[in-house]
Amino acid sequence: MSIALRGISKQFGEFAAVKNIDLDVPTGALIALLGPSGCGKTTLLRIIAGLETPDEGQVLFDGRDATLWPIRDRKVGFVFQHYALFRHMSVFENVAFGLKVKPRRERPAAAEIRNKVNSLLELVQLEWSGDRYPAQLSGGQRQRVALARALAVAPDVLLLDEPFGALDSQVRHELRRWLRRLHDELHFTSIFVTHDQQEAIEVADTIAVLNRGRIEQSGVPSEVYDLPTSAFVHRFLGQVNELPVQVRGGRAYVGPIDISSTAAVAGGATGHIALIRPHEIEIGPEAAGWPAIVTAVRVIGPIVRLELCAEGQPVNEPLEAEISRERFEGERFGAGQRVGLRFRRWQVYPTGGAAA
Amino acid sequence: MATLAAVELKSLKMPAAKRRTRRQLPGFGLTLGYTMVYLSLLVLIPLSAVFIRSFGLGWDHFWDVVTAPRVMASLRLSFGASLIAALINVVFGLIVAWVLVRYAFPFKRLIDAMVDLPFALPTAVAGIALTALYAPNGWLGVWLKSWGIQVAFTPLGIVVALTFIGLPFVVRTLQPVLEDLDKEVEQAAATLGASAAQAFARVILPALWPALLTGFALSFARAVGEYGSVIFIAGNMPMKSEIAPLLIVTKLEQYDFAGATAIAVIMLVFSFAIMLGINALQHWALSRHGGR
Amino acid sequence: MAAAELRRPAGRAEPGRLLLIAVALTFLVLFLVLPLLAVFVQALTKGISAYWAAVSNPIAWAAVKLTLTVAAIAVPFNLVFGVAAAWAIAKFEFRGKSTLITLIDLPFAVSPVIAGLIFILLFGAHGWFGGFLRVHHIRVVFAVPGIVLATIFVTFPFIARELIPVMQAQGKDDEETALSLGATGWQTFWRVTLPNIRWGLMYGVLLCNARAMGEFGAVSVVSGHIRGMTNTMPLQVEILYNEYNYAAAFAVASLLALLALLTLAGKSFLEWRQPELRHAARQARDRTRRENT
Repeated sequence: MSIALRGISKQFGEFAAVKNIDLDVPTGALIALLGPSGCGKTTLLRIIAGLETPDEGQVLFDGRDATLWPIRDRKVGFVFQHYALFRHMSVFENVAFGLKVKPRRERPAAAEIRNKVNSLLELVQLEWSGDRYPAQLSGGQRQRVALARALAVAPDVLLLDEPFGALDSQVRHELRRWLRRLHDELHFTSIFVTHDQQEAIEVADTIAVLNRGRIEQSGVPSEVYDLPTSAFVHRFLGQVNELPVQVRGGRAYVGPIDISSTAAVAGGATGHIALIRPHEIEIGPEAAGWPAIVTAVRVIGPIVRLELCAEGQPVNEPLEAEISRERFEGERFGAGQRVGLRFRRWQVYPTGGAAA
Repeated sequence: MATLAAVELKSLKMPAAKRRTRRQLPGFGLTLGYTMVYLSLLVLIPLSAVFIRSFGLGWDHFWDVVTAPRVMASLRLSFGASLIAALINVVFGLIVAWVLVRYAFPFKRLIDAMVDLPFALPTAVAGIALTALYAPNGWLGVWLKSWGIQVAFTPLGIVVALTFIGLPFVVRTLQPVLEDLDKEVEQAAATLGASAAQAFARVILPALWPALLTGFALSFARAVGEYGSVIFIAGNMPMKSEIAPLLIVTKLEQYDFAGATAIAVIMLVFSFAIMLGINALQHWALSRHGGR
Repeated sequence: MAAAELRRPAGRAEPGRLLLIAVALTFLVLFLVLPLLAVFVQALTKGISAYWAAVSNPIAWAAVKLTLTVAAIAVPFNLVFGVAAAWAIAKFEFRGKSTLITLIDLPFAVSPVIAGLIFILLFGAHGWFGGFLRVHHIRVVFAVPGIVLATIFVTFPFIARELIPVMQAQGKDDEETALSLGATGWQTFWRVTLPNIRWGLMYGVLLCNARAMGEFGAVSVVSGHIRGMTNTMPLQVEILYNEYNYAAAFAVASLLALLALLTLAGKSFLEWRQPELRHAARQARDRTRRENT
C-alpha cells in the first residue's frame, strides 16, 4: 500500500509540530524520517497511524482519503519506542492479540492463530519464548515481540517509532540489519522514525530529513549525505567543519584557499559559510596548503581523528580531519607538527541557513 | 502475657553491632528499641489480652458463646452488609476513579478532595447525618418511602452507612493504578484492531484487578468493624439489625466479658486474615508484573 | 521533549463518557455531599441563637476541651513513635522489616469497639491490672487516661505510615553527608532530616489529629459516658442525639464537620506541595516488598 501526505499541519497549543508537509511513500518502500528532537517526525508518524489528527491536510492510503479513519480501521502496524507490550500477557498472547480481537466473522480458528503466532515467533527468532512474560525478556527480545505482534495482523504498512532507541549499541546494530533483511523478504511498506543518522543511512531506502516541522530534504541516503541542499541537512547527516567565507578581490576564500570555483561570488558572498566534512580535508606538507598545527591525535579503531589549528583561525575552534589508519601508520602525525591543508570537497551556504 | 511480645521481638533479628559492611547511621538501637517497646506496650500486649482471655474460656465454652443465635445473627449481619457495601463500592468506586483520572470536568479537584470525606469525618457525625437523610421524614427517606422502601432502622440502612465508610478505599487504591496505565499500551491495542470494549476487558481490566481486590478487601475489613456510623441508622434490634460491634458493647455493659471477647476474637482473626491476604495479593501482583 | 509531552489528545472520545461522569457525580453527591449538607442544615433548624447556645454551653465546652486535650496528648506520642519507627525502617536494613510494618498497621484492622475493649480487659475493674489500680486509686478506664490510651491505639499507625515512604524515598545520602562533615546523630536529625520530612510530618499529624478528635467507638467503650467529665465531642453528639435534642446534636456535629473540612483542605494543600504524599502508603508496601524479594 502506498501512502501520501498532502499539506499536513499539526499544532499543539502554540507549538507548531508539523507544517505543511508533503510526502510520498510508494508501496514496498522503507523510508526513514530523520531529524532532531522536536522536529515533528514522531508526530507525523502518529498522524499516519491515526493516533493524532492533523489540523490541515490529507493522509492518502492508496489514493483514498484516510485522514479521519479511526485507528482500528487503518490496518497499520505500529511499533512503539518502548514496545508497549501487554505486561500481563505472555509473549504468545501478545502476538496473538490482534488476531483474537478480530470481529467474529473474520477471526481465524484457534489452531490457525496458534500456527500464525508460532511462525511469526520463528521469524523473529523467539520460538522458545512463547510462554514467557515481557518482564522476563531483554530489551532487544521485547522489541522483536512488538514487531511480531504488529506483523501478526498482516498490516498494509508498518510504522516504527525510534524502534531501537532504547537498546545497547551492539543490539541496535544487529536489529537494524535484521529489520532490513525482514523488509527485503516480506516487502511491506515501512516508515520508521529515528534521530540517529547512522541508522537511517544503514537501513532505509529513502531518507526524509525533518527540521522544525518541515521536510528539509528527502532522497536516497547517498544523495542526502553527499549532496545536502541546506546547511542543516549537511550538519545533521555527519560531522562538519564550519569556516567563514571571505571575498577578496572578486574571489571567494576560506582562509588562503580559493574556493571560487563553486562559490557564489556574485552579489557579495560575505556572510556565507563553507561546510567541509572531516574526511574531505587533505593533509600534506606545510608548504603545500593552508598552514596548520596538529593539536591532538585520536586513534579510533580504523580511523584517526586529527585536531588542527589553522593559521588565522581562533585557537579554541580547531578543525577536525579524519584519515585512515594505514595513512596514519605511514606518516605518524604528532601533536605540534606543522602541516598544510587543502579541501577535496566543500559546500557553501548563506549563514541564514544556520538552523539550530 | 509477655510471650506474644517476646515472640515478635525474636523474629526481628538486629544485625550484630560489629557486622558493618558499610557506614551505618547512628540511632538504630535507640529507634528500633523504642519502636518495639511502644508497639508492644500499646498494641501487641493489649491485643493479646483479648486472645488470652478467650483461651481462658476453653474451647467448648468459646464455641457455645460464639454459636449462640444472637451472636451468629450479628456476625451474619455485619459480614453480609459489609460484603454488599464493599461490592457496591467496587463498582461505583471504579467508575469514580475512572472519571477522576481520565476525564476533565469543572470542580474536578474539589470533588477529588471530597472523596476523602469518609476518612476525615468523625463516624458519629456521619452516623447522625445519614440517619437524618434516610429517616422516614428525611430528605431521601421521604422520597424512598413513596416507593415503599424504608432504609433507616433496617439492614438496608446499615449497607448505606457501610458504603459511605468504605467509599474512599476503592477509589484511592485504584487511582494510582489508573494513572500509571501506559497510554501506549492502549494505543497499541487500538492499532491492533481492538474496540474500546475489547481494550478495556483484555488490556485495562487485567491491570486493575489486583487493585480492585485490594480496595474491596480494605473496604470490607473496615466495614466489618465499623461502629459509630452504623449504630444510629441501624435499628439495633437483636437478631435483626444488630451489628457485631454493638453486640460486643452490649455484652460489656452486662459484664459478659466472655461473650464480648469471644466475638472480638472472631472479628480479629478475620481482620488479620484479610490483612495478610491483601499483603499476599500485592506481593504476588508485584512479582508477576515485575513491578513498574 | 516538548512535543512528546503535548501529545496527549484532549477530551478522549470514549463512548459513554458523559454517562460515566453523570453516574460518578450522582453517586458522590448522594453519598458525600448530601450527608455533609444535612449536618449543617439540621444544625441550623432552630436558628442561629439556638446553634450558638448549643455550642457554647458549659457541657459542650467541656467536651471540646476534653477532645482537644486528648488529641494534644495522643498526637505527640504517636509523632515521636512515628519518627522513630520511620528512622529505623527507612535508614537501616534488617530482617523482619516488612513484618514490623505489618504490625504497625495492625490497629487499622481492629474495630474501634475492640480497641476500647482491650483496654477494659487490661485496666478495667476485672482486668489484669484492675486490682493494682484500685489499690493505688488510679482510674484509667472510665477516666481520661483510658480515653487517651484508646485514642493512641486507634491513631497509632497514621504518622508512621506517612513518614516511612517519605523517608525511604529520600534515602540516606543527606544524612551520610552530614555525618561525614562532622555532625552528631542528633544534629543530623534536627538540621537535615527534619526539614526534609516536614511536609510528610505535617500530613501525618493532620490525619492523626483528625482521627484522634473524631474517634467514637473506642472512646465510647472506654469512657463511661460521664457527662462533663469523660465526654468527648463525638460522645456528646451521641448523648444529645439519644435525648432527641437533634438541633444541639447537629450543632456539635457541625463543629466536627468543620474540622473534617479543614482537614481535607490541609490534606489537599500538602498533597499539592508534595505530590508523593498521595500514594505514600502504597509505595511503602511496594518498596519494602521489592527489597525483600
